Amino acid sequence: MKNDQIDILLVEDNESDAEMTNRILRKNNIASKLLHLSDGAMALDYLFAEGIYAGRQIENKPKVIMLDLKMPKVNGIEVLHRIKSDDRTKIIPVVILTSSKEDPDIKRCYELGANSYVVKPVEFDEFHKAVTNLGLYWLITNQPPV
Amino acid sequence: MINRKNSINTQFLYELIINSSDDAIISETLDGFITSFNPAAEILFGYTAAEAINKHISIIVPQNKLNEESDIASKIKDGEYIKNFLTERMGKDGSVISVSLASSPIKSNTGQIIGLSTIARNITDEMAAEKKLEQSIKEVADYKFALIESSIIGITDNKGVILFANDNLCKISKYSVDELIGQDHRIVNSGHHPKDYIQNLWTTIANGDIWRGELKNKAKDGSFYWVNTTIVPFLNGQGKPYQYVAIKDDITERKRVEEELLQLNLDLDEKVIERTEQLQLANKELDAFSYSVSHDLRAPLRAVNGYSKILLEDYGIQLDAEANRVINNIEANVIKMGQLIDDLLAFSRLGRKELILANIQMYDLVRGICNEMKVEYPKRNIEFHIHPIQTVLADMPSIKQVWINLISNAVKYTSPKEITIIEIGCNVTDHDIVYYVKDNGVGFDMQYADKLFGVFQRLHSDKEFEGTGVGLAIVHRIITKHNGKIWAESKLNEGTIFYFSLKKVQNEK
Repeated sequence: MKNDQIDILLVEDNESDAEMTNRILRKNNIASKLLHLSDGAMALDYLFAEGIYAGRQIENKPKVIMLDLKMPKVNGIEVLHRIKSDDRTKIIPVVILTSSKEDPDIKRCYELGANSYVVKPVEFDEFHKAVTNLGLYWLITNQPPV
Repeated sequence: MINRKNSINTQFLYELIINSSDDAIISETLDGFITSFNPAAEILFGYTAAEAINKHISIIVPQNKLNEESDIASKIKDGEYIKNFLTERMGKDGSVISVSLASSPIKSNTGQIIGLSTIARNITDEMAAEKKLEQSIKEVADYKFALIESSIIGITDNKGVILFANDNLCKISKYSVDELIGQDHRIVNSGHHPKDYIQNLWTTIANGDIWRGELKNKAKDGSFYWVNTTIVPFLNGQGKPYQYVAIKDDITERKRVEEELLQLNLDLDEKVIERTEQLQLANKELDAFSYSVSHDLRAPLRAVNGYSKILLEDYGIQLDAEANRVINNIEANVIKMGQLIDDLLAFSRLGRKELILANIQMYDLVRGICNEMKVEYPKRNIEFHIHPIQTVLADMPSIKQVWINLISNAVKYTSPKEITIIEIGCNVTDHDIVYYVKDNGVGFDMQYADKLFGVFQRLHSDKEFEGTGVGLAIVHRIITKHNGKIWAESKLNEGTIFYFSLKKVQNEK
């Protein structure tokens, strides 16, 4: 598993959101290789091959990172900042997923280099649509950096 | 030869003196008939010599002085002389003339007294001047009296030693006159004023200039009093001050109020700063709260919605119609809850948003919104009557929100009507522009009018008309922030008019 090539890295502390996202992507056969990590610290360990992910090949990058903003320990902004300020990871597309339109951080996220910013709709059908579109776009429509 | 010459000269000299004298010279017989009347007498009394001679002297004597003349005559008869006799005589025109008289006897060759000669000097001007002087002196005394009665007066010599203190000074300084006189003026020094201030005072008055200012003094009992002070130097012949007169008014009470006011202002400033800090903190907390509400309340909602969807997807076949209805109700409530959260956030966001004033073309704005409404409700038969409406200086996004909420309300509450008629316009008063939105909808009972603008307050059930009860609360808040007013008139089943007023000129943001 450590060195497996994954398509999507989902960093999300809310287990329900993660389960929904995972289910929607699986059901639509968009991403079979999805890794869910439930906090920012674990995400950084994974991306930079540290901690329990020591020894992983950093070059094996996910095709897209779906990143929640509000998380315990290391929040989404910090994770984004680390990803985008490191030459080894800055080319990975990062989609910010957040629950809130109220977030004061939208501008900050774009400044830090976020590739997309998506508000998770409350209504499940809408949420379903949003996640499906995201998966389709970033894994199929979009040409990833080599 | 010499004697003769001399006698002629003497005669001539006398005539010359009499004729050129500035004083009137009149001679008369002992029984009062005028025998000579010189040119000065003519000028003084207005009679010519020809008119006067052989007339009785009483023609130039006022009625009340008539007996003087016989007194003078009898004294002359007794060989006496009259000198510097101050009295009044009368001119031909009846005017009273102040005169100083000197009378001497005229003797015959035999030495017998046969008449008298009187020199009358006009002293009317001198008398007037003296009278004026007397008046001036009295006036000055009156001024002094008034000043001493009304003000606090202290006089020192040019070294500052107290020469005079009036009752008022004693009263305010709580010293007796005896305790003050002879003392240095510093006996009442409070030590309150900076050195320069006092130095300036002394330099000013020592130069002979008047000094004005406020002084804090110390009374005998150690209490302080304030006096508004004018110090006037009295100058000697060389222009040097020989004494200083200080005229003071008690301003202790005014000073106390001023100081209190100053302190109050300081307290107020402090309080404002403190409150502003508290407010900023509260706003920050509110921001965090809104963030947290929007974030954390939405996530579980999404989960509830998601899991009920999963239930339907994965187990739908096994569920009966009732179970499906229940699940649908769960979903409907989730959506409603989501709407409530959004509206509540929108409402709380308003409070913190600053108004940015700009000229708003109200007519274009309203027409745009009405067109959108028609697109949004294609199946409804809606007639919008938009009158020309006044532009206004206000915050564009929030005023747009006001129109959207009021117009969509009008559309919503007219839905049972076959034809919806919505009229929009404005009335201009002296200071305000009053805009209105009038509909032919279901209306409401005016006895609940006070509940219209409360948050989550509704006058209709969800079954009748959907809504969260935030729309009008938002409108109210926006209009209030603009220093405007909002109210409504309604009749059940006939329609409602919403009015809101905005100031023609916005003073503050």
